[in-house]
Amino acid sequence: MLRLENIGIVLGTFSLRNVSLEIRDGEYFILLGPTGAGKTILLEMVAGIHQPDTGRIFLGDREITTLEPRERGVGVVYQDYMLFPHLTVAENIGFGLRQRRERPDVIRKAVDEMAGLLSIRDLLSRYPGTLSGGEQQRTALARALILKPRVLLLDEPLSALDARMREYMRTELARIRTITGTTIIHITHHFEDVFTLADRIAVMRDGEIVQTGAPSDVFQRPCDTFVAQFLGIGNLLRGMSRVEGDLARIAVPGGPELIAASRVSGEVVATLHAEDVILSRQPFPSSARNCLKGTIREIVSTGTTLRIVADVGFPLVSLLTRQSVEDLGLRCGDEVYLTFKASAVHVIPVHPD
Amino acid sequence: MRTFSLALTALVFLVICGILIGLVLYPPLPSLAASLASSEIQFAIVLSLWTSAVSTGICIAIALPVSYALARYRFRGSRIVNLILTMPLALPPLVAGIALLLFFGTTPLGKALDALGFSVIFTPLGIIVAEVFVNLPYMIRILRSSFAMVNPRYEYVARTLGCTETGSFLQVTLPMSRPGILAGTAITWSKSMGEFGAVLLLAGATTMRTETLPIALYLNVSAGDLSQAVAAATILIVISLAALCVVEFFARDVNVF
Repeated sequence: MLRLENIGIVLGTFSLRNVSLEIRDGEYFILLGPTGAGKTILLEMVAGIHQPDTGRIFLGDREITTLEPRERGVGVVYQDYMLFPHLTVAENIGFGLRQRRERPDVIRKAVDEMAGLLSIRDLLSRYPGTLSGGEQQRTALARALILKPRVLLLDEPLSALDARMREYMRTELARIRTITGTTIIHITHHFEDVFTLADRIAVMRDGEIVQTGAPSDVFQRPCDTFVAQFLGIGNLLRGMSRVEGDLARIAVPGGPELIAASRVSGEVVATLHAEDVILSRQPFPSSARNCLKGTIREIVSTGTTLRIVADVGFPLVSLLTRQSVEDLGLRCGDEVYLTFKASAVHVIPVHPD
Repeated sequence: MRTFSLALTALVFLVICGILIGLVLYPPLPSLAASLASSEIQFAIVLSLWTSAVSTGICIAIALPVSYALARYRFRGSRIVNLILTMPLALPPLVAGIALLLFFGTTPLGKALDALGFSVIFTPLGIIVAEVFVNLPYMIRILRSSFAMVNPRYEYVARTLGCTETGSFLQVTLPMSRPGILAGTAITWSKSMGEFGAVLLLAGATTMRTETLPIALYLNVSAGDLSQAVAAATILIVISLAALCVVEFFARDVNVF
């Protein structure tokens, strides 16, 4: 287990405060957050590049707070790979073993094996400058993995790749993780990475960890409006909540009440994923508690899906596939019904600032 | 604009070539060859070669760690230190020369060094000291900018792969800065070969003792022996050209100033 206890650091104008985190052995942990939140610095503190001003770091039962990077058993892969340009692919991969003064034949065998695992055997004599992004990526992974690190740190490893390569490398990462069983901490901006790879995630903001949990928990129950907004949850509605039994009735100014499976009362923000809103021409017979009538104001294409904003007294966003928009023949100005379950509405209490 | 600018470029090119070729061809070729073979010019060539080689070596040895510190670390007053360390760059070499002369000739520290056998005034050792003082800033600036171009994350990765800080510098940053180091060496060496003002004031202009190529040129012009002077000048032209080729070949992108 990797454990961070109240880690803090000040670097120039940036500061990281009170970060505590526990990552289990073999876990795939994803760090999310806007640029400048301190994700990379946190990663580099785990690697030993920066020493925290306060707090302690443990790997297993050993404290590693002040250890040199080379003594930690931690591997790093950066977005731009940082392959040594003056060394061949084979020399890059074998770099770590050469530092350990392994015998040349041992190194050659291990490099060959690792290159086989990542399907880059035919690149071994090339120089990094001649490789594609995906090939560089796999070389950088091989270079880190050959030392069998206990923790592998990935700083936006897929961001420099095109969409198809990203998809492919994502499955590669999942496979590597299964084969090596190594603990992985992965920084990303892509939510696809979260859903396909992560066991747990943490959302960071301004040098603090705001929320930690399983991806589904964090996405369904964001702890505050920042997290909800950052995760791209389509609907954030401010209102007054009144609890009746197991349900909360939320009065949103200008429109009808929302019904949520929650017991939070007072001033709240209700979050509702746009994907969870079903859109129909007629009232939709279902067990869903919320069925609101509205007028379509806007239809925006977002690639494979369309984002539809309907006015129900306040704007409510729904996501539909292109096909269903065509089937329903939706146009701006049409009257529609918007249906969603009480359990799809998550309620965040608003703390007076 | 195109015709005019190209024509002007051609003109400047021809003028420079004409002036340099005119210089080399001034004495009849056999007499140039005789001058090149003369013991005075031979002495000057050998003296210039070894003093500039030694002073370039010293510059590299000092500039490698200093430039690295300036490129990587921010410390209190680092901007001032940066400025002062590269100031001799903007200083006329004659001013550097007289400052060195006064330092070694009149201060207690200079006198103590002299008593310990480190005598630099009017000696070949003085040539080296003057060349290092004048050219070290060039080396520092060139190396600083080439180290700054190497992303520190290369070193971070190397350190997670088993390197110490020094190891990551030697195995990653240094080889990645090779073009800058070669360019810096070529420039420092050729400038040392051609250094005149500071050498003149500190090491003097003694025939067959502190007579480097530029000093030989100066002494022979003063004495009216133009053929000897041109011989020294010819060698200096060849050296400049060679250094320029090295810089162009290895270090197109190195930011020299």
